[in-house]
Amino acid sequence: MALIRSVFQDELDSVSQSLVDLTSMVSHSMSQATKAILNCDLNLAQEVIASDERIDEYQHDIDARIIDIIARQQPVASDLRALVTALRMGSDLERMGDLAHHVAKIARLRHPNAAVPAELVQTITEMGLAAVKITDKTGVVIATRDTDMALEVERDDDEIDNLHRQLIGILIEPNWKYGIETAIDLTLLGRYYERYADHAVSISRRVYFLVTGKYAS
Amino acid sequence: MTTSHENEKEKMQTSVKPNSLASVAQANPAKVPGTRAMGTGLETRGVHAWFGKHHALSDISLDFAAGTVTALIGPSGCGKSTFIRTINRMHEFIPGAAMAGEVLLDGKDVYAPGTDVTKIRLQIGMVFQKPNPFPSMTIGENVLSGLKLAQIKVDNKDDLLEECLERAGLWSEVKDRLGAHGGSLSGGQQQRLCIARALAVRPQVLLMDEPCSALDPGSTLRIEETIRHLSDTMTIIIVTHNMQQAARVSDYTAFFLSDGGPGQMIEVAPTSEIFSRPQDQRTENYVTGRFG
Repeated sequence: MALIRSVFQDELDSVSQSLVDLTSMVSHSMSQATKAILNCDLNLAQEVIASDERIDEYQHDIDARIIDIIARQQPVASDLRALVTALRMGSDLERMGDLAHHVAKIARLRHPNAAVPAELVQTITEMGLAAVKITDKTGVVIATRDTDMALEVERDDDEIDNLHRQLIGILIEPNWKYGIETAIDLTLLGRYYERYADHAVSISRRVYFLVTGKYAS
Repeated sequence: MTTSHENEKEKMQTSVKPNSLASVAQANPAKVPGTRAMGTGLETRGVHAWFGKHHALSDISLDFAAGTVTALIGPSGCGKSTFIRTINRMHEFIPGAAMAGEVLLDGKDVYAPGTDVTKIRLQIGMVFQKPNPFPSMTIGENVLSGLKLAQIKVDNKDDLLEECLERAGLWSEVKDRLGAHGGSLSGGQQQRLCIARALAVRPQVLLMDEPCSALDPGSTLRIEETIRHLSDTMTIIIVTHNMQQAARVSDYTAFFLSDGGPGQMIEVAPTSEIFSRPQDQRTENYVTGRFG
Protein backbone atom coordinates (compact mmCIF):
# COMPACT_ATOMS: atom_id res chain seq x y z
CA MET A 1 0.00 0.00 0.00
CA ALA A 2 1.37 3.39 -0.94
CA LEU A 3 2.70 5.56 1.84
CA ILE A 4 0.97 8.93 2.14
CA ARG A 5 1.16 12.21 4.11
CA SER A 6 4.37 13.40 2.48
CA VAL A 7 3.67 17.06 3.34
CA PHE A 8 3.25 16.14 7.02
CA GLN A 9 6.47 14.09 6.88
CA ASP A 10 8.29 17.07 5.35
CA GLU A 11 7.06 19.27 8.21
CA LEU A 12 8.29 16.76 10.81
CA ASP A 13 11.66 16.46 9.04
CA SER A 14 11.97 20.21 8.94
CA VAL A 15 11.39 20.49 12.73
CA SER A 16 14.08 17.88 13.28
CA GLN A 17 16.50 19.75 10.97
CA SER A 18 15.81 23.00 12.83
CA LEU A 19 16.69 21.33 16.12
CA VAL A 20 19.97 20.14 14.58
CA ASP A 21 20.64 23.71 13.41
CA LEU A 22 19.81 25.09 16.86
CA THR A 23 22.19 22.55 18.40
CA SER A 24 25.00 23.74 16.19
CA MET A 25 24.17 27.37 17.11
CA VAL A 26 24.46 26.66 20.86
CA SER A 27 27.62 24.59 20.31
CA HIS A 28 29.22 27.50 18.43
CA SER A 29 28.04 29.87 21.14
CA MET A 30 29.69 27.85 23.92
CA SER A 31 32.87 27.44 21.87
CA GLN A 32 33.08 31.23 21.36
CA ALA A 33 32.20 31.95 25.01
CA THR A 34 35.04 29.66 26.15
CA LYS A 35 37.49 31.45 23.81
CA ALA A 36 36.26 34.80 25.11
CA ILE A 37 36.81 33.87 28.75
CA LEU A 38 40.23 32.28 28.16
CA ASN A 39 41.52 35.12 25.92
CA CYS A 40 39.80 38.01 27.76
CA ASP A 41 38.21 38.88 24.41
CA LEU A 42 35.51 41.50 25.03
CA ASN A 43 34.30 41.68 21.42
CA LEU A 44 33.84 37.94 21.25
CA ALA A 45 31.99 37.99 24.60
CA GLN A 46 29.67 40.73 23.24
CA GLU A 47 29.05 38.64 20.12
CA VAL A 48 28.02 35.61 22.19
CA ILE A 49 25.74 37.76 24.37
CA ALA A 50 24.06 39.22 21.27
CA SER A 51 23.70 35.81 19.62
CA ASP A 52 21.61 34.51 22.55
CA GLU A 53 18.70 36.59 21.30
CA ARG A 54 18.89 34.87 17.91
CA ILE A 55 18.91 31.48 19.66
CA ASP A 56 15.79 32.44 21.64
CA GLU A 57 14.01 33.63 18.51
CA TYR A 58 14.95 30.45 16.66
CA GLN A 59 13.54 28.34 19.51
CA HIS A 60 10.30 30.38 19.57
CA ASP A 61 9.94 29.79 15.86
CA ILE A 62 10.36 26.01 16.31
CA ASP A 63 7.75 26.05 19.12
CA ALA A 64 5.27 27.95 16.95
CA ARG A 65 5.73 25.51 14.07
CA ILE A 66 5.23 22.50 16.36
CA ILE A 67 2.04 23.95 17.85
CA ASP A 68 0.78 24.63 14.35
CA ILE A 69 1.51 21.03 13.23
CA ILE A 70 -0.22 19.59 16.33
CA ALA A 71 -3.27 21.79 15.73
CA ARG A 72 -3.58 20.98 12.04
CA GLN A 73 -2.35 17.40 11.74
CA GLN A 74 -3.52 15.72 14.98
CA PRO A 75 -0.38 13.59 15.25
CA VAL A 76 -0.42 10.32 17.22
CA ALA A 77 2.03 7.58 18.23
CA SER A 78 5.67 8.23 17.22
CA ASP A 79 4.70 11.48 15.44
CA LEU A 80 3.16 12.85 18.63
CA ARG A 81 6.16 11.71 20.66
CA ALA A 82 8.49 13.37 18.12
CA LEU A 83 6.68 16.70 18.40
CA VAL A 84 6.22 16.74 22.18
CA THR A 85 9.86 15.69 22.53
CA ALA A 86 10.93 18.39 20.08
CA LEU A 87 9.16 21.04 22.19
CA ARG A 88 11.14 19.94 25.22
CA MET A 89 14.43 19.57 23.33
CA GLY A 90 13.97 23.11 22.02
CA SER A 91 13.70 24.40 25.56
CA ASP A 92 16.81 22.41 26.62
CA LEU A 93 18.74 23.95 23.71
CA GLU A 94 17.49 27.42 24.57
CA ARG A 95 18.74 26.93 28.13
CA MET A 96 22.13 25.75 26.80
CA GLY A 97 22.30 29.01 24.84
CA ASP A 98 21.61 30.90 28.09
CA LEU A 99 24.47 29.10 29.85
CA ALA A 100 26.92 30.02 27.04
CA HIS A 101 25.62 33.57 27.41
CA HIS A 102 26.35 33.44 31.19
CA VAL A 103 29.94 32.32 30.50
CA ALA A 104 30.37 35.24 28.09
CA LYS A 105 28.95 37.63 30.71
CA ILE A 106 31.63 36.63 33.23
CA ALA A 107 34.27 37.34 30.54
CA ARG A 108 32.70 40.79 29.94
CA LEU A 109 32.37 41.54 33.66
CA ARG A 110 36.06 40.86 34.40
CA HIS A 111 37.46 42.46 31.24
CA PRO A 112 40.23 43.63 30.87
CA ASN A 113 41.30 41.25 33.64
CA ALA A 114 41.35 37.50 33.18
CA ALA A 115 38.52 35.65 34.91
CA VAL A 116 40.49 32.39 34.86
CA PRO A 117 43.90 32.22 36.63
CA ALA A 118 46.72 30.55 34.69
CA GLU A 119 46.70 27.36 36.71
CA LEU A 120 43.03 26.73 35.85
CA VAL A 121 43.21 27.59 32.15
CA GLN A 122 43.82 23.94 31.30
CA THR A 123 40.74 22.76 33.25
CA ILE A 124 38.41 25.38 31.74
CA THR A 125 39.82 24.68 28.26
CA GLU A 126 39.05 21.01 28.70
CA MET A 127 35.56 21.73 30.05
CA GLY A 128 34.87 23.96 27.05
CA LEU A 129 36.11 21.32 24.60
CA ALA A 130 34.13 18.56 26.31
CA ALA A 131 30.97 20.73 26.29
CA VAL A 132 31.30 21.38 22.56
CA LYS A 133 32.06 17.71 21.86
CA ILE A 134 28.99 16.51 23.75
CA THR A 135 26.77 19.09 21.99
CA ASP A 136 28.01 18.09 18.56
CA LYS A 137 27.34 14.45 19.34
CA THR A 138 23.86 15.42 20.55
CA GLY A 139 23.27 17.09 17.18
CA VAL A 140 24.13 13.80 15.46
CA VAL A 141 21.79 11.95 17.86
CA ILE A 142 18.92 14.31 16.94
CA ALA A 143 19.64 13.93 13.21
CA THR A 144 20.12 10.16 13.16
CA ARG A 145 17.99 9.06 16.15
CA ASP A 146 20.80 6.63 16.97
CA THR A 147 19.83 5.24 20.40
CA ASP A 148 23.28 3.72 21.08
CA MET A 149 24.87 7.10 20.53
CA ALA A 150 22.18 8.67 22.75
CA LEU A 151 23.34 6.43 25.59
CA GLU A 152 26.99 7.30 24.80
CA VAL A 153 26.24 11.00 25.40
CA GLU A 154 25.24 10.08 28.93
CA ARG A 155 28.66 8.47 29.46
CA ASP A 156 30.47 11.42 27.85
CA ASP A 157 28.89 13.62 30.49
CA ASP A 158 31.00 11.84 33.13
CA GLU A 159 34.08 13.55 31.64
CA ILE A 160 32.63 17.00 32.39
CA ASP A 161 31.47 15.90 35.83
CA ASN A 162 35.03 14.78 36.61
CA LEU A 163 36.50 18.09 35.43
CA HIS A 164 33.89 19.89 37.52
CA ARG A 165 34.90 17.91 40.60
CA GLN A 166 38.60 18.66 39.88
CA LEU A 167 37.83 22.37 39.62
CA ILE A 168 35.89 22.44 42.90
CA GLY A 169 38.77 20.50 44.53
CA ILE A 170 41.20 23.26 43.55
CA LEU A 171 38.86 26.03 44.71
CA ILE A 172 38.48 24.62 48.19
CA GLU A 173 42.17 24.01 48.75
CA PRO A 174 43.43 25.96 51.83
CA ASN A 175 46.23 27.58 49.80
CA TRP A 176 43.84 29.17 47.23
CA LYS A 177 45.42 32.51 46.45
CA TYR A 178 43.14 34.26 43.94
CA GLY A 179 40.53 35.66 46.30
CA ILE A 180 36.82 35.18 46.80
CA GLU A 181 35.68 36.98 43.65
CA THR A 182 37.65 34.67 41.36
CA ALA A 183 36.55 31.65 43.37
CA ILE A 184 32.90 32.67 42.87
CA ASP A 185 33.45 33.25 39.14
CA LEU A 186 35.03 29.83 38.77
CA THR A 187 32.36 28.12 40.86
CA LEU A 188 29.74 29.62 38.57
CA LEU A 189 31.72 28.79 35.42
CA GLY A 190 32.11 25.18 36.51
CA ARG A 191 28.39 25.00 37.23
CA TYR A 192 27.51 26.53 33.82
CA TYR A 193 29.56 23.93 31.89
CA GLU A 194 28.25 21.09 34.02
CA ARG A 195 24.60 22.16 33.59
CA TYR A 196 25.16 22.78 29.89
CA ALA A 197 26.29 19.16 29.44
CA ASP A 198 23.35 17.93 31.57
CA HIS A 199 20.93 19.52 29.09
CA ALA A 200 22.72 17.70 26.25
CA VAL A 201 22.22 14.44 28.16
CA SER A 202 18.58 15.29 28.70
CA ILE A 203 18.12 15.85 24.94
CA SER A 204 19.75 12.52 24.15
CA ARG A 205 17.46 10.77 26.63
CA ARG A 206 14.47 12.39 24.96
CA VAL A 207 15.63 11.03 21.59
CA TYR A 208 15.89 7.58 23.18
CA PHE A 209 12.28 7.93 24.41
CA LEU A 210 11.09 9.21 21.06
CA VAL A 211 12.51 6.20 19.24
CA THR A 212 11.68 3.46 21.75
CA GLY A 213 8.66 4.88 23.61
CA LYS A 214 10.56 4.02 26.81
CA TYR A 215 12.73 6.04 29.15
CA ALA A 216 16.45 5.25 29.19
CA SER A 217 17.18 3.49 32.47
CA MET B 1 16.87 2.97 42.40
CA THR B 2 13.48 1.30 42.19
CA THR B 3 10.58 3.56 43.05
CA SER B 4 7.21 2.34 44.22
CA HIS B 5 5.81 3.64 40.94
CA GLU B 6 8.16 1.35 39.02
CA ASN B 7 7.16 -1.56 41.22
CA GLU B 8 3.55 -0.83 40.43
CA LYS B 9 4.33 -0.70 36.71
CA GLU B 10 6.21 -3.97 36.87
CA LYS B 11 3.29 -5.58 38.67
CA MET B 12 0.92 -4.36 35.95
CA GLN B 13 3.20 -5.70 33.24
CA THR B 14 3.51 -9.13 34.78
CA SER B 15 -0.13 -9.53 35.74
CA VAL B 16 -1.60 -8.38 32.44
CA LYS B 17 -1.32 -10.68 29.46
CA PRO B 18 -0.91 -8.67 26.25
CA ASN B 19 -3.61 -9.01 23.60
CA SER B 20 -6.30 -10.15 25.99
CA LEU B 21 -8.96 -7.56 26.57
CA ALA B 22 -10.56 -9.35 29.48
CA SER B 23 -7.26 -9.62 31.32
CA VAL B 24 -6.42 -5.97 30.65
CA ALA B 25 -9.89 -5.02 31.87
CA GLN B 26 -9.26 -6.87 35.10
CA ALA B 27 -6.73 -4.18 35.95
CA ASN B 28 -9.63 -1.71 36.02
CA PRO B 29 -12.15 -2.51 38.76
CA ALA B 30 -14.90 -0.45 37.10
CA LYS B 31 -14.81 -2.77 34.09
CA VAL B 32 -14.45 -6.23 35.63
CA PRO B 33 -16.37 -8.64 33.43
CA GLY B 34 -19.21 -10.60 34.93
CA THR B 35 -19.79 -8.48 38.00
CA ARG B 36 -22.67 -6.52 36.59
CA ALA B 37 -26.07 -7.25 35.14
CA MET B 38 -24.65 -6.93 31.65
CA GLY B 39 -23.22 -10.45 31.54
CA THR B 40 -19.70 -11.73 31.21
CA GLY B 41 -19.02 -10.19 27.84
CA LEU B 42 -18.41 -11.43 24.36
CA GLU B 43 -15.61 -13.52 22.91
CA THR B 44 -14.77 -14.60 19.41
CA ARG B 45 -12.58 -17.62 18.82
CA GLY B 46 -10.87 -18.22 15.48
CA VAL B 47 -13.54 -16.50 13.41
CA HIS B 48 -13.17 -16.81 9.62
CA ALA B 49 -15.62 -15.44 7.05
CA TRP B 50 -16.11 -16.12 3.35
CA PHE B 51 -18.18 -14.63 0.54
CA GLY B 52 -18.43 -17.57 -1.83
CA LYS B 53 -14.82 -18.56 -2.50
CA HIS B 54 -13.47 -15.22 -1.31
CA HIS B 55 -11.87 -15.62 2.12
CA ALA B 56 -12.67 -12.22 3.70
CA LEU B 57 -11.57 -12.67 7.28
CA SER B 58 -9.03 -14.94 8.92
CA ASP B 59 -8.77 -16.27 12.45
CA ILE B 60 -10.09 -13.43 14.59
CA SER B 61 -9.97 -14.12 18.33
CA LEU B 62 -10.97 -11.18 20.49
CA ASP B 63 -12.41 -10.71 23.97
CA PHE B 64 -14.85 -7.89 24.60
CA ALA B 65 -15.19 -7.43 28.35
CA ALA B 66 -18.65 -6.44 29.54
CA GLY B 67 -19.10 -2.70 29.82
CA THR B 68 -16.22 -1.77 27.57
CA VAL B 69 -16.14 0.07 24.26
CA THR B 70 -13.89 -1.46 21.62
CA ALA B 71 -13.11 0.38 18.38
CA LEU B 72 -12.27 -1.61 15.26
CA ILE B 73 -10.07 0.35 12.89
CA GLY B 74 -8.39 -0.45 9.60
CA PRO B 75 -8.52 0.44 5.90
CA SER B 76 -11.62 -0.31 3.80
CA GLY B 77 -11.87 -3.94 2.83
CA CYS B 78 -10.00 -5.29 5.85
CA GLY B 79 -13.06 -7.14 7.17
CA LYS B 80 -14.13 -4.96 10.13
CA SER B 81 -17.79 -4.76 9.10
CA THR B 82 -17.81 -8.43 8.06
CA PHE B 83 -16.45 -9.29 11.49
CA ILE B 84 -19.16 -7.46 13.44
CA ARG B 85 -21.81 -8.95 11.15
CA THR B 86 -20.61 -12.41 12.12
CA ILE B 87 -21.17 -11.48 15.77
CA ASN B 88 -24.96 -11.06 15.52
CA ARG B 89 -25.34 -13.56 12.65
CA MET B 90 -26.12 -10.95 10.02
CA HIS B 91 -23.28 -12.20 7.84
CA GLU B 92 -25.36 -15.25 6.88
CA PHE B 93 -28.00 -12.99 5.23
CA ILE B 94 -25.69 -12.60 2.24
CA PRO B 95 -26.08 -15.40 -0.37
CA GLY B 96 -22.95 -17.57 -0.48
CA ALA B 97 -21.63 -16.23 2.81
CA ALA B 98 -20.04 -18.66 5.26
CA MET B 99 -18.20 -18.48 8.57
CA ALA B 100 -16.14 -20.67 10.87
CA GLY B 101 -15.15 -20.27 14.49
CA GLU B 102 -17.07 -19.43 17.63
CA VAL B 103 -18.83 -16.33 18.90
CA LEU B 104 -19.47 -16.71 22.60
CA LEU B 105 -21.97 -14.52 24.42
CA ASP B 106 -21.83 -15.19 28.16
CA GLY B 107 -19.87 -18.29 27.23
CA LYS B 108 -22.54 -19.69 24.86
CA ASP B 109 -21.83 -20.02 21.15
CA VAL B 110 -24.36 -17.98 19.18
CA TYR B 111 -23.84 -20.42 16.29
CA ALA B 112 -24.70 -23.51 18.36
CA PRO B 113 -27.30 -25.71 16.66
CA GLY B 114 -30.83 -24.88 17.71
CA THR B 115 -30.00 -21.28 18.64
CA ASP B 116 -32.87 -18.84 18.11
CA VAL B 117 -31.30 -16.30 15.74
CA THR B 118 -33.94 -13.66 16.47
CA LYS B 119 -33.14 -13.90 20.16
CA ILE B 120 -29.44 -13.44 19.41
CA ARG B 121 -30.17 -10.27 17.47
CA LEU B 122 -32.20 -8.96 20.42
CA GLN B 123 -29.24 -9.55 22.71
CA ILE B 124 -26.74 -8.14 20.20
CA GLY B 125 -28.18 -4.96 18.68
CA MET B 126 -26.81 -3.08 15.72
CA VAL B 127 -26.68 0.52 14.54
CA PHE B 128 -25.74 1.13 10.92
CA GLN B 129 -23.76 3.73 9.02
CA LYS B 130 -26.82 5.40 7.52
CA PRO B 131 -29.65 6.23 9.94
CA ASN B 132 -32.55 3.96 8.98
CA PRO B 133 -35.63 4.81 11.05
CA PHE B 134 -38.96 3.56 9.68
CA PRO B 135 -39.90 6.82 7.95
CA SER B 136 -43.67 6.42 8.12
CA MET B 137 -43.71 5.35 11.77
CA THR B 138 -43.82 7.97 14.50
CA ILE B 139 -40.85 8.56 16.76
CA GLY B 140 -42.56 6.56 19.52
CA GLU B 141 -43.48 3.70 17.19
CA ASN B 142 -39.91 3.57 15.89
CA VAL B 143 -38.47 3.13 19.38
CA LEU B 144 -40.96 0.39 20.27
CA SER B 145 -40.87 -1.36 16.88
CA GLY B 146 -38.36 -4.00 17.99
CA LEU B 147 -40.64 -5.06 20.84
CA LYS B 148 -43.57 -5.36 18.48
CA LEU B 149 -41.60 -7.48 15.98
CA ALA B 150 -40.27 -9.75 18.71
CA GLN B 151 -43.72 -9.83 20.34
CA ILE B 152 -42.30 -8.72 23.68
CA LYS B 153 -44.88 -7.32 26.09
CA VAL B 154 -43.97 -4.51 28.48
CA ASP B 155 -46.13 -3.08 31.24
CA ASN B 156 -45.40 0.58 30.81
CA LYS B 157 -44.47 1.50 27.26
CA ASP B 158 -44.32 5.24 28.01
CA ASP B 159 -41.67 4.74 30.68
CA LEU B 160 -39.61 2.51 28.39
CA LEU B 161 -39.96 5.04 25.57
CA GLU B 162 -38.72 7.86 27.75
CA GLU B 163 -35.90 5.74 29.20
CA CYS B 164 -34.60 4.67 25.77
CA LEU B 165 -34.81 8.15 24.27
CA GLU B 166 -33.17 9.57 27.37
CA ARG B 167 -30.29 7.06 27.18
CA ALA B 168 -29.85 7.74 23.47
CA GLY B 169 -29.56 11.45 24.29
CA LEU B 170 -32.66 12.38 22.27
CA TRP B 171 -35.48 12.73 24.84
CA SER B 172 -35.24 16.47 25.47
CA GLU B 173 -35.32 17.20 21.75
CA VAL B 174 -38.36 15.06 20.88
CA LYS B 175 -40.43 14.71 24.06
CA ASP B 176 -43.04 17.17 22.78
CA ARG B 177 -43.41 15.54 19.38
CA LEU B 178 -43.33 11.80 19.91
CA GLY B 179 -46.13 11.51 17.34
CA ALA B 180 -44.05 13.08 14.54
CA HIS B 181 -42.68 10.82 11.85
CA GLY B 182 -39.14 9.43 12.24
CA GLY B 183 -38.27 10.82 8.82
CA SER B 184 -38.92 14.38 10.03
CA LEU B 185 -35.84 14.37 12.29
CA SER B 186 -32.37 15.58 11.30
CA GLY B 187 -29.70 12.99 10.38
CA GLY B 188 -28.08 13.12 13.81
CA GLN B 189 -31.44 12.83 15.56
CA GLN B 190 -32.43 9.92 13.30
CA GLN B 191 -29.24 8.09 14.25
CA ARG B 192 -29.95 8.61 17.96
CA LEU B 193 -33.51 7.40 17.30
CA CYS B 194 -32.00 4.21 15.82
CA ILE B 195 -29.88 3.83 18.95
CA ALA B 196 -33.01 4.29 21.12
CA ARG B 197 -34.75 1.64 19.00
CA ALA B 198 -31.85 -0.77 19.52
CA LEU B 199 -31.92 -0.09 23.29
CA ALA B 200 -35.65 -0.83 23.67
CA VAL B 201 -35.09 -4.59 23.46
CA ARG B 202 -32.37 -4.29 26.14
CA PRO B 203 -29.37 -5.74 24.29
CA GLN B 204 -26.24 -6.83 26.13
CA VAL B 205 -24.05 -5.87 23.21
CA LEU B 206 -24.39 -2.99 20.76
CA LEU B 207 -22.59 -3.18 17.42
CA MET B 208 -22.09 0.15 15.65
CA ASP B 209 -20.92 0.21 12.05
CA GLU B 210 -19.53 3.69 11.35
CA PRO B 211 -22.50 5.28 13.15
CA CYS B 212 -21.29 8.85 12.66
CA SER B 213 -19.90 8.80 9.13
CA ALA B 214 -22.99 10.54 7.71
CA LEU B 215 -23.28 13.08 10.53
CA ASP B 216 -22.04 16.62 11.17
CA PRO B 217 -19.41 17.22 13.92
CA GLY B 218 -21.98 18.33 16.55
CA SER B 219 -24.19 15.26 16.05
CA THR B 220 -21.07 13.09 16.04
CA LEU B 221 -19.98 14.40 19.44
CA ARG B 222 -23.51 13.86 20.80
CA ILE B 223 -23.47 10.22 19.64
CA GLU B 224 -20.01 9.74 21.13
CA GLU B 225 -21.30 11.05 24.44
CA THR B 226 -24.21 8.62 24.19
CA ILE B 227 -21.76 5.75 23.57
CA ARG B 228 -19.81 6.66 26.70
CA HIS B 229 -22.98 6.69 28.81
CA LEU B 230 -24.28 3.43 27.33
CA SER B 231 -21.06 1.60 28.11
CA ASP B 232 -22.06 1.68 31.78
CA THR B 233 -24.70 -0.90 31.01
CA MET B 234 -23.60 -2.72 27.87
CA THR B 235 -20.69 -3.86 25.74
CA ILE B 236 -20.11 -1.76 22.65
CA ILE B 237 -18.12 -2.53 19.50
CA ILE B 238 -17.75 0.33 17.07
CA VAL B 239 -16.30 0.26 13.57
CA THR B 240 -14.93 3.66 12.66
CA HIS B 241 -12.71 5.26 10.04
CA ASN B 242 -12.30 8.30 12.23
CA MET B 243 -9.11 7.85 14.27
CA GLN B 244 -9.92 10.71 16.61
CA GLN B 245 -13.30 9.13 17.27
CA ALA B 246 -11.69 5.78 18.12
CA ALA B 247 -9.25 7.61 20.39
CA ARG B 248 -12.02 9.60 22.11
CA VAL B 249 -14.67 7.00 22.60
CA SER B 250 -13.12 3.57 23.10
CA ASP B 251 -11.41 1.70 25.94
CA TYR B 252 -9.72 -0.74 23.53
CA THR B 253 -8.79 -0.56 19.90
CA ALA B 254 -8.22 -3.44 17.50
CA PHE B 255 -6.45 -2.84 14.20
CA PHE B 256 -7.48 -4.95 11.20
CA LEU B 257 -5.57 -5.18 7.93
CA SER B 258 -5.66 -7.15 4.72
CA ASP B 259 -2.40 -7.58 2.79
CA GLY B 260 -4.30 -8.70 -0.30
CA GLY B 261 -5.48 -11.90 1.39
CA PRO B 262 -8.19 -12.19 4.05
CA GLY B 263 -8.45 -9.47 6.70
CA GLN B 264 -6.51 -10.15 9.89
CA MET B 265 -6.39 -8.63 13.33
CA ILE B 266 -2.91 -7.15 13.66
CA GLU B 267 -2.97 -5.68 17.14
CA VAL B 268 -5.35 -5.09 20.03
CA ALA B 269 -4.54 -3.00 23.11
CA PRO B 270 -5.92 -0.32 25.38
CA THR B 271 -6.72 2.66 23.13
CA SER B 272 -4.16 4.92 24.78
CA GLU B 273 -1.46 2.38 23.91
CA ILE B 274 -2.54 2.09 20.28
CA PHE B 275 -2.41 5.86 19.85
CA SER B 276 0.79 6.47 21.78
CA ARG B 277 2.97 3.35 21.55
CA PRO B 278 1.59 0.77 19.11
CA GLN B 279 3.66 -2.41 19.06
CA ASP B 280 3.32 -3.30 15.40
CA GLN B 281 4.87 -1.09 12.72
CA ARG B 282 1.79 -1.59 10.50
CA THR B 283 -0.45 -0.22 13.26
CA GLU B 284 1.91 2.72 13.68
CA ASN B 285 1.83 3.42 9.93
CA TYR B 286 -1.98 3.28 9.89
CA VAL B 287 -2.75 5.41 12.97
CA THR B 288 -0.22 8.02 11.93
CA GLY B 289 -1.92 8.17 8.53
CA ARG B 290 1.06 6.83 6.57
CA PHE B 291 -1.23 4.56 4.54
CA GLY B 292 -4.87 3.60 4.30
